[in-house]
Amino acid sequence: MNLAHLHLLLNHFPIIGTMVGVGLFVFSLVGKNDDLNRAGLIVFSVMALLALPTFFSGVGAEGAIEQLPGVSRVLIDRHEGAAILALLSMEITGAFSLAGLWQSHKASRPARWNVATILLVSLITVGLMARVGTTGGDVRHPEIWASADPAANEGTLGSIVRAFEPSPSKFTKLMTANKYWWAFMMDLHFIGLIMIIGAVGALDLRMLGFAKALPIASVHRLVPWALAGFAINVITGVLAFIGMPVFYTYDIAFWIKIFAVLLLGLNAAAFYLTDTFKMVEHMGPGEDAPPPAKIIAASSLVLWFGVITLGRYIKSYQGTISGR
Amino acid sequence: MALPLFLRSIEESSFSTWLRESESPFGFYFVLLFHTFGLAMLVGANALIDLRLLGFSPGIPLAPLKRFFRIMWIGFGINAATGVVLLISYPTKALTNPIFYAKLTMIASAIWILTKLQKEVFGDPTLPEADMMARGAPLAKWSLTLWVGAISAGRLLAYTFKYILYPF
Repeated sequence: MNLAHLHLLLNHFPIIGTMVGVGLFVFSLVGKNDDLNRAGLIVFSVMALLALPTFFSGVGAEGAIEQLPGVSRVLIDRHEGAAILALLSMEITGAFSLAGLWQSHKASRPARWNVATILLVSLITVGLMARVGTTGGDVRHPEIWASADPAANEGTLGSIVRAFEPSPSKFTKLMTANKYWWAFMMDLHFIGLIMIIGAVGALDLRMLGFAKALPIASVHRLVPWALAGFAINVITGVLAFIGMPVFYTYDIAFWIKIFAVLLLGLNAAAFYLTDTFKMVEHMGPGEDAPPPAKIIAASSLVLWFGVITLGRYIKSYQGTISGR
Repeated sequence: MALPLFLRSIEESSFSTWLRESESPFGFYFVLLFHTFGLAMLVGANALIDLRLLGFSPGIPLAPLKRFFRIMWIGFGINAATGVVLLISYPTKALTNPIFYAKLTMIASAIWILTKLQKEVFGDPTLPEADMMARGAPLAKWSLTLWVGAISAGRLLAYTFKYILYPF
């Protein structure tokens, strides 16, 4: 398996998965079904997470084919610009979905303004993802071209969307133009790390039996701080990647770090989608969490410190993946 | 003005050279990693207490948060130790950078506030929560500001140095 292969495997998730999410979400609104609604939000959140390695692996796919005859630089850049815009829309959808899941945990359904927002941004995401898929297909499949030169003949809708798609090379230059901007992004990345470790760390430690005088329910109220920290880190992380795409792509520590973040998503799913959360939700001071909760808490702590470790070692492991 | 020679002497020592040049995974990056762990423990827990003292998540009882002081002091210990080792690795780089001194000043101030929090807010177990909040809120504001400043200064060190090693 190489990065090009990974890209071709993963891209199905944000493109098709968001359509499934929209289907579930719309049917939940029509049928006034809270469980279906929650399922839709979960699908959006998962697709937002998977969109990240999909995006990152694109540079590896580019590296694998850009020297081949018949491969157009213009079409690759068009696809990459479309991907940046679609990723933005996908992550916004994911953020509102996580907020909606938090609201539905407290009030059995998301707030009305959130439902309307998610409907709008998810539909935009589906449209933009369709465009990423088509522009990506155009790179290696001339048989699907609508006209002789797809980049020059965009059509009405395509031309409008094209105006919003950034130029990848200009974006890269912008991110690295000023070392104080880079320092600021890395600084925010550390602040996000602090928010995550402070909030999730406190909850994990309490579930493991530390500071038992704290009721679990109130410590759990810290989770939105962790989500906000995670959002800051996704934003600064993606911007950093766009700033130095080759540096990160061919670095094994970066990929294991992203994999660890996906495992943390799985860990969160194990916590919330099984009975584990219900078991601990109302635990008061002095009560001991059951073993499944302790296992999830321990793996959460190990994985987050693993993410920090891998992040710190990115610089030492540059160039450890071949391809360029 | 020539730079003090002791900087060069430290860099030429076998420990300093080993930290910088060894292929071992336990070199400079390992020390830097534990510096990040210590920061996560110290500032993560301190931020939690500061935000609580400023009124966020009022459902969390304040008194039990005293247990987190142990984590914070362990984090500080890790960072003091790793900080010294990092300084031994690149003494010229750090000591010729004014931002390094700003960082140490902010850390010293934040730790001083931490000791005040421990004594004045969490020191008396019979103190009612409302009094703890009243005493703690102004300290918490300064604590958060200083830690954000210290972390930012720390990050800037990687981008603002004038010398990486003693210039010959």
